[in-house]
Amino acid sequence: MSIFSWKRSASLGLLAVIVVAALGCGEAGSDEPFRIGVMESVTGPGETYGTVAVQSKEMAVAEINAAGGINGRMLELVVEDSKCNAQDAITAYTKLTDVDGVKIILGTSCSGAMLGAAPLAEADGVVMFSGLATNPDIAEAGDYIFRTSLSDATVGVDTGNVLWADGIRRLATISESTDYAEGVRRTTAEHFQSLGGEVVAEERYASDTTDFRTQLEKLLGANPDAVHIAAQSEFTGGTVIKQLRELGYDGPIYADVVPIGTTALEIAGEAATGVKAITPDLDPANAKAQEVLANFKDRYDYVTLPWFLGSAYDNVYIAAECLKQTGDDQDADGFRDCLYEITWSGTIGDNYSFDEKGEVVGLSNAVLEVLPVAERTEENGGYKVLGAAPTG
Amino acid sequence: MALNTQAVGNLLRRRPRFARGNIELWANLVILSWAAAFMLWQGVGFAITVSTVFAIWAILAVSLNLVVGYTGLLSVGHVGFFGIGAYAMAILSSDASYEQLRTEAIPTFGWPFFAALPISVVLAGLVAIVVGVAFNRFRDDIYVLVSFGFAVIAFNLFLNWRPLTRGAFGIHEIARPEIGGWTLNGAFEFLVLALVFLAIVVLISWFIVTSSFGRVLTAIREDEQAIEVFGYQTAHYKLAIWVISAMMAGLAGALFGSWTSFIDPNSFVLLESILLVSIVILGGLATIWGSLLGAMAFVMLEEGMRFLPFLPTEYVGQARQVVLGVLLVLLMLFRPQGLVGKFRL
Repeated sequence: MSIFSWKRSASLGLLAVIVVAALGCGEAGSDEPFRIGVMESVTGPGETYGTVAVQSKEMAVAEINAAGGINGRMLELVVEDSKCNAQDAITAYTKLTDVDGVKIILGTSCSGAMLGAAPLAEADGVVMFSGLATNPDIAEAGDYIFRTSLSDATVGVDTGNVLWADGIRRLATISESTDYAEGVRRTTAEHFQSLGGEVVAEERYASDTTDFRTQLEKLLGANPDAVHIAAQSEFTGGTVIKQLRELGYDGPIYADVVPIGTTALEIAGEAATGVKAITPDLDPANAKAQEVLANFKDRYDYVTLPWFLGSAYDNVYIAAECLKQTGDDQDADGFRDCLYEITWSGTIGDNYSFDEKGEVVGLSNAVLEVLPVAERTEENGGYKVLGAAPTG
Repeated sequence: MALNTQAVGNLLRRRPRFARGNIELWANLVILSWAAAFMLWQGVGFAITVSTVFAIWAILAVSLNLVVGYTGLLSVGHVGFFGIGAYAMAILSSDASYEQLRTEAIPTFGWPFFAALPISVVLAGLVAIVVGVAFNRFRDDIYVLVSFGFAVIAFNLFLNWRPLTRGAFGIHEIARPEIGGWTLNGAFEFLVLALVFLAIVVLISWFIVTSSFGRVLTAIREDEQAIEVFGYQTAHYKLAIWVISAMMAGLAGALFGSWTSFIDPNSFVLLESILLVSIVILGGLATIWGSLLGAMAFVMLEEGMRFLPFLPTEYVGQARQVVLGVLLVLLMLFRPQGLVGKFRL
């Protein structure tokens, strides 16, 4: 072969490679799925929350993709386990951003993990968008940090209002020593005191406690008008209620969402009847919420933590809307600006949006009352909704 | 003929020794090359993060091996000193102006990293002196129990001493190291710093275990009463190594706090101590090299399994915990002395 023909062949070959590569790139650009990260505590202490969140998000993605995707492009989640601590959150975050190259992360379910990864996300310009983390400090975590979950501070303020409105003036509190339960107890007590109430006794317990009678005797010894329980695990929440009634206390009991969970109500039995819980809850009149719960039940054969399930579900649809607007899963700034501007109606409420700290506005807590055992069903979750919690 | 038989006999005898040496060599090489390949294969940033986790855990493992491997005192309370170092760093260096934005703000001092670091290390040492004096009365299984008690007490103090630790809310904005106005904000710079501290800890440990002091420690492990007959005050030796080890753990804690920039009691639960003992046993007791290898193997296994193939990503989280557990059990079945261990519990 002469030099000329060798050169010509090489040139033609090179041209062919470039053309094929260009065609390939063009096709990959239009067909490539949008990839976003998910960080949840799928193992460890927050496993229940993390698993529900991941499953709910997977369900939402399946629906979006079945309906044709986002502008014809599929949506793909890359899930990482952040457990419930800063170290695992940082390694999960770095894996998602550095190896998978995602710029938008939905999660986390644990506040400790969120607060561990948030400084990195803020520095890197990566959006973190949580449906479950409730620690009040997340409000100060930065410009790229958003959540649809209500801060513990709002639960506490609303609980204080409900207590005051119900005529409670002397309150005893018992709380689990975790950031969530501590946050609820502290904000409840502070707001209740600011309204003129008196906290006459307070007790805390470690998560592995099983016998609360000594602590409860001390609370009841202070002769309170009501007892407030802030728990992180349903087992302790249910046991506290049960042991309170066993000690002969028949006054009102107030709680956060955990002590009225399915497991907690099973443990407490009839003792839980009449317990009031102040928590975000799905509106029974919201058809979308009921549809999501029914679909989740069909898909996974169980339902738990319905509000958090709905919150995680809405996160995916909000993300899909913002990706539709930006058209680029690498455009974190555009995604962030979209979140600041968006007003959303979905599973957890209508017309909610985000303030300048990335905190959700437009959602409120509800007051729930536990029904007698005979009236508890899988559908009603064992309680009835009395209405929205008084605000202000 | 007799000579030939002897030669063959020598060869046969030599062969197992050769093979034994090779198992350790191969174990090291396989793990190291796998770790290197794993790091190169993944993104640089992720490799740096994983290496930083390794450096911190390696400091902890080397320090614990001095107590468990060389001296024969099985402590599961090391996480307490790790936490003390981290909390001291957090309280001394966290920025007070940021702290005021937080729930239940605590007084913090805003010291630079290198001012807070020696205090964190010394504080861990001081606590170790107090605890060690009491622990010296115990041995063997009772020692495990009291060290377990220490880990539980430390965790509960982190959780409940809220005016100092902010309890479950944790402490934010922990200072990054700063050298002459240059803040080591980048992940790579921090990794280099952590590796420098690891090297210092390894050097100190190597110096200890090869010195006459180290030989006394080994003798204590083998037969404490026998060494006492020779006039050695074993209580002093045990207290000294306990305090040195705790100070190293305090150093690891201070680095950890600065690296994560946020700590809460969840990072210092008893399980972390158990994992640490597992790392030391996995690598091999009474060998510094083994602790480095154990930490590397453990961190690489745990983080490497984020890439478990053939599984939807939502199941990888659960699967990696199961696989990690199975691997540890298998390793202990076939290598009970650890990867390069010289001593079995």
